[in-house]
Amino acid sequence: MILRLLNFVVIGALVLAAAWVYRIKFDATVQGEQLAKLRTEVRHQRDEIAALRADWGELDNPARIQALADRFLHLKPITPTQFDTLDTLPDRPTAQPVTASSDPIGSMIENSAPPEAAETPTTTGSIPAPSAPTAPAPPGPVNGAPRQ
Amino acid sequence: MSATADTFSLSSGDRRPQPAAIPWRQWLIQKLLYGRNIDRGAKAKARIGLAILAFATVYAVIAARLVMFALVANSHNTHRVVSGDAVATARPDILDRNGEVLATDVRVPSLYAEPRRLIDVDEAAELLTADLPDLDPKELRERLSSKRGFVWLKRDIAPEQQREIYHQGLPGIGFLNENKRDYPNGAEVSHLIGHVDIDNQGIAGIEKWLDGQGLNALHMAGLATDRLQNPVQLAVDLRVQHVLRDELVKARAKFGAIAAAGLVLNVRTGEIVALVSEPDYDPNNPSQALDPTRINRLTTGVYEMGSTFKAFTVAMALDSGKITLKSSFDAREPLQMGRFTIHDFEPQHRLLTVPEIFTYSSNIGAARIALASGGDAQRTFLDKMGQLDRLRTELPESAEPIVPKRWSALNTATIAFGHGLSVAPLQAVMGVAALMNGGVLIPPTFLKRSEADAQKLGKRVIKPETSAIMRYLMRLNVEKGTAEKAEVPGYYIGGKTGTADKVISGRYSKDKVLTDFMAVLPADQPRYLLLIMLDEPHAMPETHGFTTSGWNAVPTGGAVVARIAPLLGIQPRMDLPTADQQILASARESR
Repeated sequence: MILRLLNFVVIGALVLAAAWVYRIKFDATVQGEQLAKLRTEVRHQRDEIAALRADWGELDNPARIQALADRFLHLKPITPTQFDTLDTLPDRPTAQPVTASSDPIGSMIENSAPPEAAETPTTTGSIPAPSAPTAPAPPGPVNGAPRQ
Repeated sequence: MSATADTFSLSSGDRRPQPAAIPWRQWLIQKLLYGRNIDRGAKAKARIGLAILAFATVYAVIAARLVMFALVANSHNTHRVVSGDAVATARPDILDRNGEVLATDVRVPSLYAEPRRLIDVDEAAELLTADLPDLDPKELRERLSSKRGFVWLKRDIAPEQQREIYHQGLPGIGFLNENKRDYPNGAEVSHLIGHVDIDNQGIAGIEKWLDGQGLNALHMAGLATDRLQNPVQLAVDLRVQHVLRDELVKARAKFGAIAAAGLVLNVRTGEIVALVSEPDYDPNNPSQALDPTRINRLTTGVYEMGSTFKAFTVAMALDSGKITLKSSFDAREPLQMGRFTIHDFEPQHRLLTVPEIFTYSSNIGAARIALASGGDAQRTFLDKMGQLDRLRTELPESAEPIVPKRWSALNTATIAFGHGLSVAPLQAVMGVAALMNGGVLIPPTFLKRSEADAQKLGKRVIKPETSAIMRYLMRLNVEKGTAEKAEVPGYYIGGKTGTADKVISGRYSKDKVLTDFMAVLPADQPRYLLLIMLDEPHAMPETHGFTTSGWNAVPTGGAVVARIAPLLGIQPRMDLPTADQQILASARESR
């Protein structure tokens, strides 16, 4: 009696085990296929990247750039005299006295007009106007005037 | 299963202790299975047990095979996917020192046929020639009607051709994706990088070196199919390479030279930053490389370098202490050596000091310096500078210097000014770099190398003080000497010119020369050495009929320096004092 029960239990376990193994196997197959698909995709992407890099290398070739620059740009080779060191850079101009006037640019021009006129060419555009953060520039003339 | 176990236990329980004399197998067969005086029941059980054992073995084998199939089938599947492409070896990308691509693999489809599976050869041949007009119809038909299992029809076809052939749906015609080497920069880096054959095996230059580094073995094992290999980074700078080539092409055209070559070497690390040998070839079209005029003159050619060798002569004599800068030598008369007479190109007819010998490029003076030092000392010194042995780099191509068998006094005198000893230009550059960089001979390399590594590899050949004096002489030569035309204000160039008469059918030619120019920049803190070499430049109206180096190689060198110095990160310094203050005085102070 116990032996028979044992037999049934074993048969049941066998069926379950078979089902479980089938599931694992099926899952593994699905995963494997996905892996293969991803691998192929990765390889294709890599190939595509390589092809694009090769194209880029061709377009970025200095000889080609030089030919294009010679044809379309009015640039000349840089000469040694065009280099300079940071310590010869002129000092930052001393802060302008900020007036309470509503026209900051106008007051700046007034302040710096006659005596510093000779020095203005040395100040470059990269130096921010000292009073810029206090008052926003009037939008109308700044945006409109130079474009038209 | 339990029944089987029972049977086994019964049969085994049945076994009596056997007589010692008979081996157990014999006992089993005689007593248990066939023995006459054995109980029939026991015999039957034993036989059944044997049968069960046999069947169990068979089933175990089947089960094991099933497990094996289950495991192998998977890998077999993926393997089939991979074998759809990748016949030719995948190679690692080659990058320049800034990461620009010099060589890379791209996938291209190739057309193949399986003649045994073809149904109608004529139809296939007709349709294929319609799509691929450059296929030879006769050869195609021959290939298709062969009995082989697989034939290549055309490697590397265009994607649109692939599409059209695919849509014809011919049986037995298929495509394989192959790796094809692509050189986006074309001829720009040709000699340096080399090229590959149709199966993507390196056959020249760095490509061949790569194969020697184990890539070949990987390919044999079938492993080098995927793009998973680390890229190889070279020391070459593509921008510098381009400038050098651009200027050399211009110079070659201007002076009508049969060849022009140039090299930029980092004197501190031995890295070759640029190497150009014009005429060159497009590695995408390697058949051009077979043309013997397109060889790499810097490593596979050997040349008499001319007056640039005077740098070695002077350095040798200075380093040995036999002469000082103040020594002077007799250059009043041409030097008579047996049948030969050594002349100066610009005779001064007076005693010349060592700096004057260098700047006037006096052959007589250099010969006298070498004779004063002796032939043995010269030979030992040149050997120490690596000028007498074959120089090996990563490039597989190299040439043996042509060294005279007997080192006579005449040889000593002529080698002093660079005649009678032919070396590969790269070799001479390596030696001069050692004279400039403080006296350490560093083997040149095409791969990236740090200064610390280079110092470990290098060996000291001359004293640092001698090197400082040599730099002074080089600079002096640009300030007031044969290399004046190389001066670019701000870069403090030093240089030595060389003009060698070419040997034409065993005699030194009068009008065919090889000119070269070695420039060090900057001369006070050397970082790079530039070599410019022109083979048979012609005289021009603006060179006043001269073909010497100072009129062709030197201005070319100056033009190259002006363009490459910003790329190499050399800051221009204006208003530097003359060489005797900037180099000699500072060298004396540091001592």
